Amino acid sequence: MEIEIDSVSSPSKVKEIDGLLADVGYKVKSSELHQVAQNIERLENVIVNSSSSDISQFASDTIHYDPSDIGNWVDNLLSEFDHTNSLPYDFSQLSDLAQDQHQHHHHHHQNHQLKVVTTVEEDSAIKLIHMLMTCADSLQRGNIQLAGSLIEGMQGLLTNMNTNSGIGKVAGYFIDALNRRIFGQNNIIHIENDVLYHHYYEACPYLKFAHFTANQAILEAFNGHDCVHVIDFNLMHGLQWPALIQALALRPGGPPFLRLTGIGPPSHDDRDNLREIGLRLAELARSVNVRFAFRGVAAWRLEDVKPWMLQVSSKEAVAVNSIMQLHRLLGSEPDPNNPSAIETVLGWIRSLNPKIMTVVEQEANHNEDGFMDRFTEALHYYSTVFDSLEACPVEPDKAMAEIYLQREICNVVCCEGPARVERHEPLIKWRERLGKTGFRPLHLGSNAFKQASMLLTLFSAEGYCVEENQGSLTLGWHSRPLIAASAWQAVPETLRFDH
Amino acid sequence: MAGSNEVNLNESKSVVPLNTWVLISNFKLAYNLLRRADGTFNRELAEFLDRKVPANTIPVDGVFSFDHVDRNTGLFSRVYQPAPENVTTCGIIELEKPLSTTEIVPVIIFFHGGSFSHSSANSAIYDTFCRRLVTMCKAVVVSVNYRRSPEHRYPCAYEDGWNALNWVKSRTWLQSGKDSKVYVYMAGDSSGGNIAHHVAVRAAEEDVEVLGNILLHPLFGGEKRTESEKKLDGKYFVKLQDRDWYWRAFLPEGEDRDHHACNPLGPKGKSLKGLKFPKSLVCVAGLDLLQDWQLEYAEGLKNYDHDVKLLYLKEATIGFYFLPNNDHFYCLMNEINAFVHPPNC
Repeated sequence: MEIEIDSVSSPSKVKEIDGLLADVGYKVKSSELHQVAQNIERLENVIVNSSSSDISQFASDTIHYDPSDIGNWVDNLLSEFDHTNSLPYDFSQLSDLAQDQHQHHHHHHQNHQLKVVTTVEEDSAIKLIHMLMTCADSLQRGNIQLAGSLIEGMQGLLTNMNTNSGIGKVAGYFIDALNRRIFGQNNIIHIENDVLYHHYYEACPYLKFAHFTANQAILEAFNGHDCVHVIDFNLMHGLQWPALIQALALRPGGPPFLRLTGIGPPSHDDRDNLREIGLRLAELARSVNVRFAFRGVAAWRLEDVKPWMLQVSSKEAVAVNSIMQLHRLLGSEPDPNNPSAIETVLGWIRSLNPKIMTVVEQEANHNEDGFMDRFTEALHYYSTVFDSLEACPVEPDKAMAEIYLQREICNVVCCEGPARVERHEPLIKWRERLGKTGFRPLHLGSNAFKQASMLLTLFSAEGYCVEENQGSLTLGWHSRPLIAASAWQAVPETLRFDH
Repeated sequence: MAGSNEVNLNESKSVVPLNTWVLISNFKLAYNLLRRADGTFNRELAEFLDRKVPANTIPVDGVFSFDHVDRNTGLFSRVYQPAPENVTTCGIIELEKPLSTTEIVPVIIFFHGGSFSHSSANSAIYDTFCRRLVTMCKAVVVSVNYRRSPEHRYPCAYEDGWNALNWVKSRTWLQSGKDSKVYVYMAGDSSGGNIAHHVAVRAAEEDVEVLGNILLHPLFGGEKRTESEKKLDGKYFVKLQDRDWYWRAFLPEGEDRDHHACNPLGPKGKSLKGLKFPKSLVCVAGLDLLQDWQLEYAEGLKNYDHDVKLLYLKEATIGFYFLPNNDHFYCLMNEINAFVHPPNC
């Protein structure tokens, strides 16, 4: 049994989560075991007295949330089954346990330190990995000469290996990245990032999962609201929004008035890319009778956006949508006198009082200060991603997707300081950070899970899997989660515990 | 409230610690929601509800793990190893060196339970159990993520087990001892125990050496209703009719429970006489309604002159080994430890 004392906020408040149950994935307070047991018995009795087909139907129709919280899960089922008191999902209990999570971090499931490996058995691959590690290590130590000669050696090794798939392919990209880090850029591929993005979108399900899951959550959050405003932190080609517009069009009771504010980099030449996307989306909205307004906000960096630019009105329900953008804010220089970029942005998001903030991030730890740590984490992560891409049959989607990923790899490996924007952090760290800055989780439920699973059946490769992670959903390849989707709401000021 | 149900629930509550009761009852509850009367299974909800954990090469309590994906089958196995003293945390596991060139390190191939339908190798309950096995029994564990029913019926799980056995035996990096070989044992709880038996039979028939089988309340059954099934039905977390559902989901359509997969030493079973079958450690929980089948199994092996150690834990319920909060757990671990480290090796 673990006992954590919440020494910061409430005096002498003792919170115990049963340690043994935590070891097997469940959160139950020791003091509540009896109550939970009683409720389980009540539910068992309900089930015993119902027909089997009723139970199956009920199980399918109900939306389940965060099964790790046994107490809440059982309560939810009981109240759903009762029909008489269909309580809305109890958020107050939610933030309570979310607090506990922060304090319970030394259990290995909640441990920040997680390393997943690529296993290599073939002699040539082993040799290659050896050299890669040594090269990264010598770079960290400042031994550029050794690093350089190792790069030559590895490039030689590669000529005798299969570089079309597996470790040979991924290693190639990392050797290339190390090369750039030492000797600078030589051959730059001149393809616009948004073109690569579009191919990446088609080649594998990660972005589709992100959009799909976020849209589900946004749709639910917008229930009952007539004026809604979505703020997209990275509009790109607006690929996420047609589906939401269509879903809103079909909403029982009719669609709301939808405003979309798309943030993106300023366009070169005389074009206004944001506006062009906006016009296309407006046309779609018109065709399905959804009243729609678009606004583009051009900014090179998210931290340059000021809330007044978004022109949020108090009458509208706001959804903030961040698909792989928040991590870009983590590279600002620490300044004791000013809040960091991430704090600033999260701060103004809160001030908008959004109904929901959807966050999708790479489930990886690429923000370690130590170069070796970052390098090896990235090697494993991208090995898995490339593995999943191997199954993609469509060209040039696959080739372009690889270049898209190669750019990410380069940024993680070659860049430092503000230039390094691909500062991916895992869900567990985002939970901590968002919890500390006044957000509480909105749980994604079994309906979102089910739909995400169905989405995957459209992709031929069979290794993709969706997992439920304490209210968030992850999409991964085989047993390794690669991307995590979560939803958040601002905690009202009066309930905040400041750390 | 039905009177007999109330009595049943109170009985199980008095024999296990409260957190164990909550854990197993929670599973029982979830499983009730997943089985459908028409024999289908709500797989999506099952995956949603299952608590999974990733592998982790950073040692936790001295154990690290990694997943190996078989590119041909798309199935993964999770390998658990004791962290070496001088672990270089560069993070890539180089699978070329043997486990040891001096000592013997047993490799236990583990098949998780779940009545052939539930759980995965990366389910938290089994990940934690395997880690404990490594620590307490000083072994390497390979947990197999076999295909489950009703989507994949007999003999899929057995085939996956057989493939895993051959894969393990052919890994140079799982070898140990002076004569550089892989010292393989197989283990499983519930359906995993059943799988271990059947893979061991095939191994014996095809002359693949397995040093021992560890069966934790293995899933066996038959058409007849045994005394323990009648007496304990519904009393300690398990109902007979649910058992029947899982057999219907696993066995080929139209087969009954005397099919040799379910009843290997029964009327349609095959003889194990003269077969080089490994020694077995059969652990039976005294409050498991299937115990008569498991005891018959142990007896049956003995009748074929095979080496069997029966560990009968009188007051244990199913799943006693998930949480290390009872004597049965430690007793079991000690027995397994002794079993995989025989004195004259």
